[in-house]
Amino acid sequence: MLALLFILFAGLAIGCALGVVGQRNPLYSAISLIGVFISLACLYVMLAAPFIAAVQVIVYAGAIMVLVVFVIMLLNVEQEERGRKRLKFLVPTAVALAAILIAEVAFILVSVQEFRVTPTNATSDVGLTHSIGSQLFTRYLLPFEITSILLLMAIVGAMTLARRGGLLSPSARVIPGAQQFTRSMIDPDAAPDDLTLVETDTTDEAARLLGFDHRSHRDDSE
Amino acid sequence: MEPQLSWYLALSAILFTIGVTGVIIKRNVIAMFMCIELMLNAVNLTFVAFASFFQDVTGQLFVFIVMTVAAAEAAVGLGIIIAIFRNRESLDVDDASILKL
Repeated sequence: MLALLFILFAGLAIGCALGVVGQRNPLYSAISLIGVFISLACLYVMLAAPFIAAVQVIVYAGAIMVLVVFVIMLLNVEQEERGRKRLKFLVPTAVALAAILIAEVAFILVSVQEFRVTPTNATSDVGLTHSIGSQLFTRYLLPFEITSILLLMAIVGAMTLARRGGLLSPSARVIPGAQQFTRSMIDPDAAPDDLTLVETDTTDEAARLLGFDHRSHRDDSE
Repeated sequence: MEPQLSWYLALSAILFTIGVTGVIIKRNVIAMFMCIELMLNAVNLTFVAFASFFQDVTGQLFVFIVMTVAAAEAAVGLGIIIAIFRNRESLDVDDASILKL
Protein backbone atom coordinates (compact mmCIF):
# COMPACT_ATOMS: atom_id res chain seq x y z
CA MET A 1 0.00 0.00 0.00
CA LEU A 2 2.72 2.47 1.05
CA ALA A 3 4.80 1.35 -1.90
CA LEU A 4 1.89 2.09 -4.23
CA LEU A 5 1.52 5.57 -2.73
CA PHE A 6 5.26 6.13 -3.07
CA ILE A 7 5.17 5.13 -6.73
CA LEU A 8 2.17 7.40 -7.33
CA PHE A 9 3.72 10.49 -5.76
CA ALA A 10 7.21 9.80 -7.07
CA GLY A 11 5.81 9.42 -10.58
CA LEU A 12 3.86 12.64 -10.17
CA ALA A 13 6.98 14.45 -8.94
CA ILE A 14 9.16 13.20 -11.78
CA GLY A 15 6.49 13.91 -14.38
CA CYS A 16 5.97 17.45 -13.13
CA ALA A 17 9.75 18.00 -12.91
CA LEU A 18 10.09 16.94 -16.54
CA GLY A 19 7.30 19.38 -17.28
CA VAL A 20 9.26 22.19 -15.61
CA VAL A 21 12.20 21.57 -17.92
CA GLY A 22 10.16 20.71 -21.00
CA GLN A 23 7.69 23.58 -21.12
CA ARG A 24 8.60 26.60 -23.21
CA ASN A 25 6.23 28.99 -21.46
CA PRO A 26 7.61 29.91 -18.01
CA LEU A 27 4.10 30.09 -16.58
CA TYR A 28 3.46 26.44 -17.41
CA SER A 29 6.85 25.62 -15.88
CA ALA A 30 5.79 27.40 -12.69
CA ILE A 31 2.55 25.44 -12.48
CA SER A 32 4.42 22.15 -13.03
CA LEU A 33 6.81 23.18 -10.27
CA ILE A 34 3.85 23.63 -7.92
CA GLY A 35 2.90 20.05 -8.79
CA VAL A 36 6.40 18.90 -7.78
CA PHE A 37 6.11 20.76 -4.47
CA ILE A 38 2.71 19.27 -3.67
CA SER A 39 3.78 15.71 -4.43
CA LEU A 40 6.94 16.19 -2.36
CA ALA A 41 4.75 17.40 0.52
CA CYS A 42 2.77 14.16 0.22
CA LEU A 43 6.04 12.21 0.36
CA TYR A 44 7.02 14.14 3.50
CA VAL A 45 3.76 13.08 5.13
CA MET A 46 4.61 9.48 4.23
CA LEU A 47 8.00 10.00 5.88
CA ALA A 48 6.29 11.04 9.16
CA ALA A 49 7.23 14.71 8.80
CA PRO A 50 3.89 16.56 8.91
CA PHE A 51 5.39 19.89 9.96
CA ILE A 52 7.83 19.97 7.05
CA ALA A 53 5.01 18.96 4.71
CA ALA A 54 2.86 21.87 5.90
CA VAL A 55 5.75 24.32 5.63
CA GLN A 56 6.53 22.97 2.17
CA VAL A 57 3.01 23.78 0.98
CA ILE A 58 2.81 27.14 2.72
CA VAL A 59 6.30 28.50 1.98
CA TYR A 60 7.16 26.87 -1.34
CA ALA A 61 3.86 26.31 -3.10
CA GLY A 62 2.38 29.37 -1.45
CA ALA A 63 4.85 32.18 -0.95
CA ILE A 64 7.77 31.50 -3.30
CA MET A 65 5.69 30.37 -6.26
CA VAL A 66 3.32 33.31 -5.89
CA LEU A 67 6.39 35.55 -6.05
CA VAL A 68 7.65 33.77 -9.17
CA VAL A 69 4.27 33.82 -10.91
CA PHE A 70 3.90 37.48 -9.98
CA VAL A 71 7.25 38.32 -11.58
CA ILE A 72 6.35 36.29 -14.69
CA MET A 73 3.10 38.23 -15.03
CA LEU A 74 4.80 41.54 -14.28
CA LEU A 75 7.52 41.12 -16.88
CA ASN A 76 5.10 39.74 -19.50
CA VAL A 77 7.46 36.97 -20.52
CA GLU A 78 6.99 35.66 -24.03
CA GLN A 79 7.68 32.07 -24.99
CA GLU A 80 11.22 31.07 -25.80
CA GLU A 81 11.75 31.27 -29.51
CA ARG A 82 12.91 28.05 -31.10
CA GLY A 83 15.65 29.09 -33.51
CA ARG A 84 18.89 30.72 -32.37
CA LYS A 85 20.42 27.99 -30.26
CA ARG A 86 23.00 28.87 -27.69
CA LEU A 87 26.11 26.69 -27.46
CA LYS A 88 25.12 23.61 -29.38
CA PHE A 89 26.94 21.07 -27.24
CA LEU A 90 25.05 22.05 -24.08
CA VAL A 91 21.98 19.91 -24.66
CA PRO A 92 23.89 16.67 -25.42
CA THR A 93 26.16 17.41 -22.44
CA ALA A 94 23.21 17.88 -20.14
CA VAL A 95 21.54 14.71 -21.35
CA ALA A 96 24.77 12.72 -20.98
CA LEU A 97 25.31 13.99 -17.43
CA ALA A 98 21.72 13.12 -16.56
CA ALA A 99 22.15 9.63 -18.02
CA ILE A 100 25.31 9.07 -15.96
CA LEU A 101 23.63 10.16 -12.72
CA ILE A 102 20.54 8.06 -13.39
CA ALA A 103 22.78 5.07 -14.10
CA GLU A 104 24.38 5.63 -10.70
CA VAL A 105 20.93 5.75 -9.14
CA ALA A 106 20.02 2.48 -10.81
CA PHE A 107 23.24 0.97 -9.45
CA ILE A 108 22.33 2.11 -5.93
CA LEU A 109 18.84 0.67 -6.27
CA VAL A 110 20.18 -2.68 -7.43
CA SER A 111 23.12 -3.05 -5.05
CA VAL A 112 21.91 -1.42 -1.83
CA GLN A 113 18.49 -3.02 -1.81
CA GLU A 114 19.58 -5.44 0.93
CA PHE A 115 20.64 -2.61 3.23
CA ARG A 116 17.80 -2.65 5.77
CA VAL A 117 17.26 0.29 8.06
CA THR A 118 15.15 -0.24 11.14
CA PRO A 119 11.55 0.50 10.21
CA THR A 120 10.01 3.77 11.31
CA ASN A 121 8.69 3.63 14.84
CA ALA A 122 5.09 4.81 14.77
CA THR A 123 5.18 6.21 18.30
CA SER A 124 8.21 8.43 17.70
CA ASP A 125 7.71 12.18 17.99
CA VAL A 126 10.40 13.01 15.42
CA GLY A 127 8.91 15.34 12.86
CA LEU A 128 6.20 16.74 15.06
CA THR A 129 6.16 20.47 15.66
CA HIS A 130 7.04 20.02 19.33
CA SER A 131 10.32 18.20 18.77
CA ILE A 132 11.35 20.47 15.89
CA GLY A 133 10.62 23.59 17.92
CA SER A 134 12.41 22.44 21.05
CA GLN A 135 15.53 21.54 19.06
CA LEU A 136 15.37 24.72 17.00
CA PHE A 137 15.31 26.99 20.03
CA THR A 138 17.86 25.13 22.15
CA ARG A 139 20.55 23.24 20.32
CA TYR A 140 20.25 24.97 16.95
CA LEU A 141 19.60 28.50 18.17
CA LEU A 142 22.66 29.98 16.44
CA PRO A 143 21.72 28.75 12.94
CA PHE A 144 18.21 30.03 13.59
CA GLU A 145 19.48 33.51 14.46
CA ILE A 146 21.86 33.55 11.50
CA THR A 147 18.92 32.62 9.27
CA SER A 148 16.94 35.57 10.60
CA ILE A 149 19.83 37.91 9.79
CA LEU A 150 19.96 36.39 6.30
CA LEU A 151 16.27 37.11 5.83
CA LEU A 152 16.76 40.71 6.93
CA MET A 153 19.60 41.12 4.44
CA ALA A 154 17.42 39.57 1.74
CA ILE A 155 14.64 42.08 2.42
CA VAL A 156 17.03 45.03 2.23
CA GLY A 157 18.78 43.63 -0.83
CA ALA A 158 15.54 42.94 -2.69
CA MET A 159 14.26 46.45 -2.01
CA THR A 160 17.55 48.00 -3.11
CA LEU A 161 17.64 45.93 -6.30
CA ALA A 162 14.04 46.39 -7.32
CA ARG A 163 13.97 50.12 -6.62
CA ARG A 164 14.18 52.36 -9.63
CA GLY A 165 17.47 54.18 -9.87
CA GLY A 166 18.06 57.88 -10.24
CA LEU A 167 17.57 60.86 -8.01
CA LEU A 168 13.80 61.08 -8.14
CA SER A 169 12.11 58.86 -10.67
CA PRO A 170 8.88 59.84 -12.44
CA SER A 171 6.88 57.27 -10.49
CA ALA A 172 8.24 58.30 -7.10
CA ARG A 173 5.94 59.83 -4.54
CA VAL A 174 7.37 62.19 -1.97
CA ILE A 175 6.00 62.37 1.53
CA PRO A 176 3.75 65.38 2.18
CA GLY A 177 5.31 68.47 3.67
CA ALA A 178 7.00 71.60 2.45
CA GLN A 179 9.90 70.64 0.21
CA GLN A 180 11.91 72.24 -2.52
CA PHE A 181 12.41 70.60 -5.87
CA THR A 182 14.41 71.64 -8.87
CA ARG A 183 13.06 71.18 -12.34
CA SER A 184 15.82 68.72 -13.19
CA MET A 185 14.65 66.42 -10.41
CA ILE A 186 11.08 66.17 -11.65
CA ASP A 187 11.09 66.64 -15.42
CA PRO A 188 12.88 63.80 -17.25
CA ASP A 189 13.24 65.98 -20.34
CA ALA A 190 14.79 68.95 -18.55
CA ALA A 191 18.47 69.74 -18.68
CA PRO A 192 20.35 68.32 -15.70
CA ASP A 193 21.53 71.78 -14.66
CA ASP A 194 18.07 73.34 -14.75
CA LEU A 195 17.81 74.32 -11.11
CA THR A 196 14.52 76.26 -11.15
CA LEU A 197 13.33 75.88 -7.58
CA VAL A 198 9.76 75.42 -6.53
CA GLU A 199 8.46 74.91 -3.00
CA THR A 200 5.55 72.51 -2.76
CA ASP A 201 4.06 69.62 -0.86
CA THR A 202 4.21 66.83 -3.43
CA THR A 203 5.98 66.04 -6.66
CA ASP A 204 2.69 66.24 -8.54
CA GLU A 205 2.07 69.75 -7.28
CA ALA A 206 5.64 70.75 -8.08
CA ALA A 207 5.18 69.46 -11.61
CA ARG A 208 1.96 71.42 -12.01
CA LEU A 209 3.58 74.64 -10.75
CA LEU A 210 6.53 74.14 -13.08
CA GLY A 211 4.07 73.83 -15.93
CA PHE A 212 4.26 70.38 -17.44
CA ASP A 213 2.28 67.18 -17.17
CA HIS A 214 4.02 65.04 -14.62
CA ARG A 215 1.46 62.23 -14.76
CA SER A 216 1.87 61.59 -18.47
CA HIS A 217 5.50 60.69 -17.83
CA ARG A 218 4.39 58.31 -15.12
CA ASP A 219 1.99 56.60 -17.50
CA ASP A 220 4.72 56.29 -20.10
CA SER A 221 7.06 54.64 -17.67
CA GLU A 222 4.57 52.03 -16.54
CA MET B 1 6.15 -3.74 0.82
CA GLU B 2 7.44 -0.69 2.65
CA PRO B 3 9.30 2.00 0.68
CA GLN B 4 13.01 1.70 1.35
CA LEU B 5 15.44 4.52 2.05
CA SER B 6 17.14 3.85 -1.27
CA TRP B 7 13.88 4.56 -3.09
CA TYR B 8 13.72 8.05 -1.66
CA LEU B 9 17.40 8.65 -2.39
CA ALA B 10 16.89 7.50 -5.98
CA LEU B 11 13.89 9.80 -6.42
CA SER B 12 15.87 12.67 -4.95
CA ALA B 13 18.80 12.02 -7.31
CA ILE B 14 16.47 11.89 -10.30
CA LEU B 15 14.82 15.19 -9.36
CA PHE B 16 18.24 16.79 -8.79
CA THR B 17 19.41 15.56 -12.19
CA ILE B 18 16.36 16.99 -13.89
CA GLY B 19 17.06 20.30 -12.14
CA VAL B 20 20.69 20.35 -13.29
CA THR B 21 19.64 19.50 -16.83
CA GLY B 22 17.15 22.35 -16.75
CA VAL B 23 19.73 24.86 -15.55
CA ILE B 24 22.04 23.83 -18.39
CA ILE B 25 19.38 23.72 -21.11
CA LYS B 26 17.08 26.61 -20.30
CA ARG B 27 17.67 30.10 -21.61
CA ASN B 28 15.02 31.99 -19.69
CA VAL B 29 16.31 33.35 -16.36
CA ILE B 30 13.06 32.62 -14.54
CA ALA B 31 12.99 29.04 -15.82
CA MET B 32 16.58 28.54 -14.65
CA PHE B 33 15.59 29.97 -11.28
CA MET B 34 12.76 27.44 -11.00
CA CYS B 35 15.15 24.61 -11.86
CA ILE B 36 17.37 25.74 -8.98
CA GLU B 37 14.33 25.54 -6.69
CA LEU B 38 13.81 22.00 -7.98
CA MET B 39 17.38 21.06 -7.01
CA LEU B 40 16.90 22.52 -3.52
CA ASN B 41 13.75 20.43 -3.12
CA ALA B 42 15.54 17.27 -4.19
CA VAL B 43 18.11 17.85 -1.44
CA ASN B 44 15.30 18.53 1.04
CA LEU B 45 13.81 15.14 0.22
CA THR B 46 17.15 13.49 1.04
CA PHE B 47 17.28 15.30 4.38
CA VAL B 48 13.75 14.31 5.34
CA ALA B 49 14.26 10.69 4.25
CA PHE B 50 17.41 10.32 6.36
CA ALA B 51 15.78 12.10 9.31
CA SER B 52 12.85 9.74 9.15
CA PHE B 53 14.80 6.53 8.72
CA PHE B 54 17.41 7.31 11.38
CA GLN B 55 14.90 8.86 13.81
CA ASP B 56 16.85 12.10 14.07
CA VAL B 57 15.15 15.49 13.97
CA THR B 58 18.30 17.32 12.81
CA GLY B 59 17.58 16.59 9.16
CA GLN B 60 14.20 18.24 9.35
CA LEU B 61 15.71 21.29 11.03
CA PHE B 62 18.09 21.62 8.12
CA VAL B 63 15.17 21.39 5.71
CA PHE B 64 13.59 24.26 7.59
CA ILE B 65 16.75 26.35 7.19
CA VAL B 66 17.09 25.40 3.52
CA MET B 67 13.54 26.63 2.96
CA THR B 68 14.39 29.95 4.60
CA VAL B 69 17.47 30.31 2.41
CA ALA B 70 15.33 29.47 -0.61
CA ALA B 71 12.87 32.20 0.35
CA ALA B 72 15.69 34.73 0.70
CA GLU B 73 17.13 33.54 -2.61
CA ALA B 74 13.75 33.96 -4.26
CA ALA B 75 13.41 37.55 -3.04
CA VAL B 76 16.92 38.62 -4.07
CA GLY B 77 16.98 36.54 -7.25
CA LEU B 78 13.70 37.93 -8.53
CA GLY B 79 14.91 41.44 -7.66
CA ILE B 80 18.00 40.83 -9.79
CA ILE B 81 15.82 39.43 -12.60
CA ILE B 82 13.66 42.56 -12.55
CA ALA B 83 16.77 44.77 -12.61
CA ILE B 84 18.19 42.81 -15.58
CA PHE B 85 14.87 43.04 -17.41
CA ARG B 86 14.73 46.79 -16.81
CA ASN B 87 18.20 47.28 -18.25
CA ARG B 88 18.06 44.89 -21.19
CA GLU B 89 14.36 44.39 -21.99
CA SER B 90 15.03 40.66 -22.17
CA LEU B 91 15.13 37.64 -19.92
CA ASP B 92 17.42 35.60 -22.16
CA VAL B 93 20.60 34.70 -20.29
CA ASP B 94 22.60 35.00 -23.49
CA ASP B 95 21.69 38.69 -23.64
CA ALA B 96 23.04 39.11 -20.12
CA SER B 97 26.26 37.18 -20.63
CA ILE B 98 28.32 40.37 -20.42
CA LEU B 99 27.99 42.01 -17.02
CA LYS B 100 28.88 45.42 -18.43
CA LEU B 101 25.84 47.48 -19.28
